[in-house]
Formats: sequence, C-alpha cells, structure tokens
Amino acid sequence: MTGLLIAFVITLLVPVFVGTWRTSLLGLAVQGALMASIAVHHGGGVLSLSIALSMFELVALRTVALPLALYLVLRTGDSPARNDVIAPNLFSWAMALALIVVAFRTADVLVPAEGDEQLLVAVASAALLLGMFVLATGRGEVSQVIGLMRLENAIALFELGSASGHEALAFRLGQTTILQVSIGFYRWYLIGLARDESTPGAAETTAL
Amino acid sequence: MNLVYLSLAPALLAPGVGSRAARSVAPIALLGASAVQAAAAIAVALTVHESTPFAGGYLTTDATARLFLVVINVIFLGIAGYVWNRARTSPELKVVVSRFARLSLVFMGAANFVVLSNHLLASWVALEVTTLAVAPLIVREGVPSSRRASWRYFLFSSVGLGIALIGLMCLARSVESEGGTPTAFLHELRTLSGTPANLWRRIGLALVVLGYGTKLGLAPMYSWLPETYDEAPPAVTALLAAVQFNCALVCLVRVLQVYRAGDRELVSTELLVLGLLSMAVSTVSIIATRNYKRLIAYASINHAGVIAIGLAIGKSASYGVMLYVVSNAFIKAILFLTAGKIKAHYGTKDTREVAGLIKDLPYSGLFLMVGTFALLGFPPFGSFLGELIILSGLVRAKQITVFVVFCTLIALTFVATGRTVFPMIWGEPKKEVHWPRQSFVAAAPKLAFFVALVAMGLYMPQAVNSLFREVAASLGAE
Repeated sequence: MTGLLIAFVITLLVPVFVGTWRTSLLGLAVQGALMASIAVHHGGGVLSLSIALSMFELVALRTVALPLALYLVLRTGDSPARNDVIAPNLFSWAMALALIVVAFRTADVLVPAEGDEQLLVAVASAALLLGMFVLATGRGEVSQVIGLMRLENAIALFELGSASGHEALAFRLGQTTILQVSIGFYRWYLIGLARDESTPGAAETTAL
Repeated sequence: MNLVYLSLAPALLAPGVGSRAARSVAPIALLGASAVQAAAAIAVALTVHESTPFAGGYLTTDATARLFLVVINVIFLGIAGYVWNRARTSPELKVVVSRFARLSLVFMGAANFVVLSNHLLASWVALEVTTLAVAPLIVREGVPSSRRASWRYFLFSSVGLGIALIGLMCLARSVESEGGTPTAFLHELRTLSGTPANLWRRIGLALVVLGYGTKLGLAPMYSWLPETYDEAPPAVTALLAAVQFNCALVCLVRVLQVYRAGDRELVSTELLVLGLLSMAVSTVSIIATRNYKRLIAYASINHAGVIAIGLAIGKSASYGVMLYVVSNAFIKAILFLTAGKIKAHYGTKDTREVAGLIKDLPYSGLFLMVGTFALLGFPPFGSFLGELIILSGLVRAKQITVFVVFCTLIALTFVATGRTVFPMIWGEPKKEVHWPRQSFVAAAPKLAFFVALVAMGLYMPQAVNSLFREVAASLGAE
C-alpha cells in the first residue's frame, strides 16, 4: 500500500506546480483510482454491499463522473487552459511543501507506530491541508471546485483507514447520493455562471 | 411513534408538489403539509415521554429531539403561511413557489431527520441533504450575485461539514484506540464516553466544533452568512436562519452531550474563543453596515457567538442557552420575513432610504420594532432571560474577563443597532405615505412567533419548561 500512498502524494503535488485545469482534473481522476486500489487492498478480498457501494463511489463517481462532468463544462465554456490552483510563486510552492511536512509530523504524533496506518493518516492529512490551502488562495470558481474536490478526496482517503463503524450501509448510501447530487450542483453552478456572464442585463424577477 | 413518522412523511409529497401539473395547488399543498408536520411535532412533544431509540436505533425522541422538532416545524408552518400569502397576492411567483414547495419539503424532511437522529453520521448526512436542498433556492433568476452567494454558501457548508465529518472519524478512532468498538449510535456512545479524553478525542471535538461552527456562522468561517442571508429571498433566509441553524446546533449539541459527559471542560476554550471572536466580528460589522438585511445577518453571527459562549460554560448556563436558542429562532424568522416585506415596498435594502415605517407600513414597523427589541435582549422576551442566565453562568464560572468583554460587545451592538434601526421605525417618512393594505392573514405567522417569544419571557407551561430543563440537564445543568 506504501506505493499507492506515495503515488497519491504525487497526484496532490503535480497539479499545484502544473497550473492547468486539465492537469487538476486528471489528478482528481487518478486520486479516485488510487483510492479504489487502496480500498481493495484494505478490504482483503472480502466483498459486501457496503464495499461494492464504496467501489462504485470511488471508481464511477470520483474517478470518472466528476472529472468528466467538469471537463465537459470547461471545454464547452472555452475556459483558458491555464488555471493555477494556487498563486504561481516560490512562496506558495514552499507553503505547499511545508504543509506536507506538517501533515507527516502530525501523523507521527497521532499514530506513533510506523506502518501503513501512519502513512495513510499522513497522506490524508497532507491532502486535507493542501485542499484547504487551494480553497483559501483560489479566487476563481474552477479553482474553488477543484479545491473542494481535493478536500472531498482527502476525507474519502481518511475514511478508508477509519474504523469499521463507518462502513454502515445506510451511511455509505447517503454519502454516495450526496456526492452524486454535489456533482450535479457543480455543473449547474458553472453552467449558470457562464449564462449569467453571457447575459449580464437580464431582468431581476420578483423575489419570494 | 407513528406521529414521528408523520412529521417525516410530507417530504414524500415533494415530487408531486413540484410538478408542472400541481403548480396551482403548490402553495396550499405546502401550507397543508407544514400544518401536518407542525401538528405531528406538537403531538409528539406532548404525548411521548420516553427516549427509547427506534427505527433500527437510528431515531430517538429524547428531550432535545422533541424540543427542536416543535421549534423548527412551527417556524416552517409560519414560513409556509408567508409563502402562501405571497403566492396569493403575487400570481407571477407561481413557478418560484412551486420550486420552493418541492425543495423546502425535502429540506424539512431532512431537517426533521437531523433533530430526531440517534446516529451521529446519519444526522451529518441529513444536514448535508438540507444544504443541497436549500442551495438552489438562494438563486434568483436575473441576479448573478445571488448565484455567487449560493455557491459561497455551498462551498463553506461543504468545507464545514467535511471538517465535522473528519472530527467524527477522529472521535471514532478515539474509541478504537482505547480498545472499544467504534459506533455512531448515541445510546451506545453514552456508555463509552466516560473514559478520559485522549488526543484523538480532543482533535475530533475541536474539528466538530469548527465544522458545525461554520454552519452556525461562527468566526473565523462566517463570511458566507451575511452574503447568503442578504441575497436569498426572505422565505429562504428564514429557513436558513431559523431552521437550518437549529439543525446544525442540534448536531453540535449531540456531540457535546455524549463526549463531554465525563469532562465538561473539553473544548471549552475553543468554544469561548470562537464565541468572543464571532461577537467582536459581528459588532464591528453592525457598526459599519447600512443594509438592514445584512444587519440582521450580522446579529445572527452575534447570537451564534453568545450560544457558543453559553455552551462553553455549560452547567448553570445551559438552560439559558436553550432559551436563547429557541427565542432567536423566532426572532430571526420575524425579522427576515419583515425585511422581505420592507424590501418589496421600498425596493431598497439601504437603511438610509427607509424611514417612518410605523406610519408607512404599520404591521412591518411594529414587527421590526418588536424583533429589534428582542434581538437586543430586552425584557419581556425569552432572549432577555436567556442572556441573563448565560451572563450569571459566566460570573459563577469565574470568567470575569469574558464577562466584561461580553458586556462591552453587547453594549456596542445595542448602540449600533439602535442608531441604524430606530430611524427606520420612527423617523420622518422620506416619501409620501400610501398606507398599503396589510392584511391580518399576512401578519398572522409573525404574530404567532411574537406570542411565543413573549411567552418564553413571561410564562412557560410546565410541559414546555420541563423540556427545556431536560435538554439543559443533558448539557450539564445541575
């Protein structure tokens, strides 16, 4: 599992340095695929309805549907190829690297025993901190959507290593549904925003 | 228990009510459904006295559930009454009302589930559903700023709830690291949480406070709140401020009830800091703003701060916190619905453009006056009593510095709010007074909220008071 987690860290860092929205979406898709692999590794070959639902969420939604939905909206809207998720300067890059170091140090304290669990907590913490960093510094809507999805992936990764109590079917079902509706909301928002920009003089309707 | 299911059932009407064919009956269907929900909630509060988990352990009817079930459903009935009246007087709103009816019924189904939930993760999921249901309602066609406000609301909600979920996972790990079996069922957690707090539990609780605090509008993650409350239509703002606020609070209170049972000092400092910071931020913003909807929104941040401080103190302040929370739900519903009426009449949200309301719009002027006095914690309203109990709790807890800062900020808020709002009510009208017809039907929901507010300050029936006491006891009141 160590290799998968190191690959996950790489998918966290590359889109920070390569500032295009295509790289960011590719990063999100690869993160989804890596999490699915980690889930298989974690599950130890046991198949249950909850695990199947989890795999559906990771593969169908996080790896395929979400990046694809955003890709279609951005391509249709002729968005400029360049989209820095954080400010492209030395200070921001140093901050991003520092956050990764902080995350790994925190994991050392939280999980003293070295091993996969410690690494998973470290990578999930790094993903969380970087997601927050992207959200805090990103001004554009696309950067914010990407920042939010990075954060969602961090939570999903943290969940993969969490206790079995979270694997309740009802909770998993609820979370998967929420993710699907959220993807719909991102699309609806970005399309609506593009429409508002193309018709700035639209008349205000009576408010409820 | 059938009555409890009845309070959840109207959500099933949502697809039908929202259909094109049902547009003409959507307002009355919404009013009927909300009346059924409110009646069921009141019946549950009056007839159910045990808190045994049911529905597979996922639901409970403990005092917290019963109290907030009544509060949110009665407020929703008032909002539905307001919407019904708007639909009656403004036929062009047919499509908007139909959309509101569909999404608000889904919202209320999820909101009722949040307060009835006996499972921390299930209530988290239901709170997410309320967010997803209400976010599209913030958008007004032709107003791009409302779409941005909707996005900002969704963004902050997602981040806040994400942080809260990580907190809940840390809390589960805290149980696991002590050798226990992780669970999210409240009745099982009550037996596990007496153990001393470890690092995972401390981090988990801090994250839960920060996460749900974001939904409450606590600083530092409060900036979504003024923008959203300002841009959303009044009925939606009332839903957010008076219903969803209480749902988020119930989620936080549930966690505090079980995880602070063994150590009441846990996360006290975090709650105190967030509370004071929120009060300070809102005071400065109230002084600076010239927009009456934003002013009420900033006052909501102030209220969230007071509630956080009350929760930090716990013990004797707990009863005051509950009184304050419920009073504020009614105050915010009155004020935001009144603000909608004022905006519709004057066509502006600038406080300097509105004057002489008591002559121009007598009902609205009266409700703005009553709401402002209640907002500022004047007697005889429940908010006065609640604030007084929280202040005495601060003194008893020997938090004198916090007490002094609290009183200073409240005094500044009072002066700043009065300076802005009083000329709106009693100033000389700036335009010719038309005496537009204001029917009693339109004022009825706000009048009912006003009666509830006064009752909480002067006399509460024994059955209602014992509910408040039970909830306070679960938070550590002696």
